[in-house]
Amino acid sequence: MSSYVDKEWFYYLRGRELLIYKIQGGSSTQRISQSGVFQSYDKELMYPDENISEGLRIEYTRVSEPFVKEALETTTSYESGIIISFEDGTGSSSRDVIDLGSASTTEFVANDKIRIRGSSSNDGDYTILAIATDGSTGYRQLEIAADSFTAESVGERVTITQIPVDDSTSPSTTSHINLNKMLSLAVLDYCKAMIAERNGEMDKKEYFMKEFYSKLGDNESNKRNISVTFPAGPFAIK
Amino acid sequence: MTVLEVMERLGSKEETLIKSWIEDAVHLIQSNTKEKIEVSKRDLIKSSGSTDNVYILPADLVSLENISIKDTSDSKYKKIRRLSNQPHYLAEDISP
Repeated sequence: MSSYVDKEWFYYLRGRELLIYKIQGGSSTQRISQSGVFQSYDKELMYPDENISEGLRIEYTRVSEPFVKEALETTTSYESGIIISFEDGTGSSSRDVIDLGSASTTEFVANDKIRIRGSSSNDGDYTILAIATDGSTGYRQLEIAADSFTAESVGERVTITQIPVDDSTSPSTTSHINLNKMLSLAVLDYCKAMIAERNGEMDKKEYFMKEFYSKLGDNESNKRNISVTFPAGPFAIK
Repeated sequence: MTVLEVMERLGSKEETLIKSWIEDAVHLIQSNTKEKIEVSKRDLIKSSGSTDNVYILPADLVSLENISIKDTSDSKYKKIRRLSNQPHYLAEDISP
């Protein structure tokens, strides 16, 4: 059983490889002469000494889904509550169903992609095939492809969040950049810089690249609003 | 913002080129600001050979955020630290 992994495990980056090491517990001692002199090694590193299913987790960035079918700012549909249940094959054409437990109109529409969290056994990403209404209760239902869900009754606090639909396989002129407005404007500056470079206008290229990085910085600082307060001196003019 | 809108703002009709530049810009953004984080999980194997501690980084990696190992005593992933130098010596005997 692995424990204290944050203190005893290490990694080393070698090119595109990741090498995992673990501290060997305790110290090892060996006699190096007949007179009783010992050579001691503390905290030797060794290779992993156990199998751990999905034991290595790598968090990283990649260029995933650069284009989506809908502007990021409009993918805001959301449902949550402890009255949401999952049905196996009860929808039209034996589709699986998310019963929202309410007759209120939902913001979701067909072909939206959704992410479910908080359920006992149905967390994941799905695509809505149709919006329906339960004939007996009048509750709104989201129909998903058959064999997607395990039946689950109400009780868990489930959240259903809309996520962008990928359009990166064959993007068209109507595809949206999978970034918010500020970063989309930064992308625009990058394209202007590339055009300036192609025209040999290096001063303009430098200007637009500066604008590009400036917008990246703005976008980050917009998420980290820090207020700095200075104490006023006793004789300060107010 | 759509690709068409970008093209109109740039006064360009080169759709393929503009899409390539957009992808380049997204790559640069991911490299600098970590706009969208991905997670990849692998099985950790008990080493029995000299290369059993070597794992290939994701091929589409732009920027590495952190590495974690699952602590099976409480089933939580915990970040591990990076060695700045490869160990000079190593106990290949993996027995505790």
